[in-house]
Amino acid sequence: MTAPAGARPAKPRPGWGLVAGLVGFAALTWWAGGARYGIGFSVAEMIDNARRARRIVSDFFNPDWNFAPATVAPFVETLQMAILAAVIGCGAALIVAFLASRLTTPNNPVYLVDKGGLNVLRALPDLLYALVFVAAFSIGPLGGILALIMFNVGVVAKLLSETVDGVDTGPVEAAQAAGAGRLQTVRTAVFPQVLPNYLAYSLYAFELNLRASTVIGYVGAGGIGQLVQTQVARFAYGRVTVIIVEIFVIVFVIESISIALRRRLV
Amino acid sequence: MAQASTDPLTAPRTRPGTARPRPPRRPLRMALWLAVTGAVLWAALGVDVDLSDLLVGPGRLLSIAGLMFTPPDWAYAGRAFEGMLESIQIAWIGTLLGAVFSLPLGFLAAKNVTAATGSTVARQVLNGIRAVPELILAIAFVPILGLGAFAGTMAIGLHSIGTLGKLTAEVIEGIDAGPVEAARATGASTSAVMRWGVLPQVLPDVVAFWLYRFEINLRTSAILGLVGAGGVGGILQNTLQYRRWDKAGMTILVIVAATVAIDAVSSRIRRRIIAGPDRAVVVAPVEAT
Repeated sequence: MTAPAGARPAKPRPGWGLVAGLVGFAALTWWAGGARYGIGFSVAEMIDNARRARRIVSDFFNPDWNFAPATVAPFVETLQMAILAAVIGCGAALIVAFLASRLTTPNNPVYLVDKGGLNVLRALPDLLYALVFVAAFSIGPLGGILALIMFNVGVVAKLLSETVDGVDTGPVEAAQAAGAGRLQTVRTAVFPQVLPNYLAYSLYAFELNLRASTVIGYVGAGGIGQLVQTQVARFAYGRVTVIIVEIFVIVFVIESISIALRRRLV
Repeated sequence: MAQASTDPLTAPRTRPGTARPRPPRRPLRMALWLAVTGAVLWAALGVDVDLSDLLVGPGRLLSIAGLMFTPPDWAYAGRAFEGMLESIQIAWIGTLLGAVFSLPLGFLAAKNVTAATGSTVARQVLNGIRAVPELILAIAFVPILGLGAFAGTMAIGLHSIGTLGKLTAEVIEGIDAGPVEAARATGASTSAVMRWGVLPQVLPDVVAFWLYRFEINLRTSAILGLVGAGGVGGILQNTLQYRRWDKAGMTILVIVAATVAIDAVSSRIRRRIIAGPDRAVVVAPVEAT
């Protein structure tokens, strides 16, 4: 290494991919944030809005703690919805997942239909399911539970089918060589391999459920969200703050427990 | 297969007098299963569900689906698309806000670059932000910032700080310590170590997470309009409320088409960022939602 001092090699030019990415990023940001085509994002305007809404802001910062006892029953309902949806949804996801992996479902049409259906299922937001189910079934927790089940099947079946794709094929071949049928192969060679992951995904889905079940009530699907909706409609912002703080605490606690459990599983 | 049992390889291994050992007891596992079963029973018995609704629901669901999609109101596509564009804008700017603020917070929350107390505090702040769903944030922001896109953007931005900050911290904790030590050995200041030792290692993963978060945020911004926070959700709310099923069906089609198309583009870009020009790797972190 006897390069003469000062003769640093020229920096390589940035690749066209990077340049294109940066230009695309700038253009998208201008389009989305600018006032001309987009939302006209402006901090000054937001501060101005907030200043005019000073009464509302101060309402938010004056939580009405006396309201707390009235929130217990809706929270219990939220928790029940999350548990039921997680159990039913994760059970259904088990079947959907095995049908969405080539390893366990060599039958092409079945595989494609299942996989395609799963993608459509996942493209729709949970709140939309809640809206439709509330319209079709009834106002109350039933529509919410069904919506959460759809959401759970989408999340767990996707993650699990990817795990099934990646299992060690040795035991599968061994089972087949021993003359096991398809169901026996899945039961003895695939399922034990993915069980820890499956349990972890199910817990994860329960966490997501808990957070989702706090909001789907907003469209009438039961639980705490329904209470939020009625209090917002009455402009009782001090009560809304109470509910938000409670959601925060409950989600935080249950998530911490669930994350600790998941760590042990995987 | 009669002779198989005489084959020493496959003959049963039990010698006379050796009983199979008992499976070990697992009290913790038993307790856990009991707790889960109990919780499910409690939920199933306690929840206020009228099972007769389950009988009429599927029929009504089918008829609603029929009203929605056979055929959808094609003429409504333009209006729905406009709403979807606003949702995309909300998701983009919201993700950008989250990205800008989460990067420094992610550094603060990473145990290997920040002292223990500092990283614990930063991590708890991020966890706290994540615990409140976007829709709840939007509900709080709408009366303060006014109806429309601002409230949705801020709700998505704030929530994204929590999720992206946590992921950034985890990526930083997984880096190779070599470049950091090398930078230190040359006498680099802390900021220079971060800039040249840490950032180049984590940037591809972090940018890929930003894009992934944008995909998730798009799904969220499509529904935030339900609470008046801008985007296509407002249209959905109106059409469903007034039972204009064919218009709602068209709006749903637009949402699904736009979401799937943007997912496809975004996941390609993510793959390119992570793997470089030649290789192809799929990135979809479990924890990202």
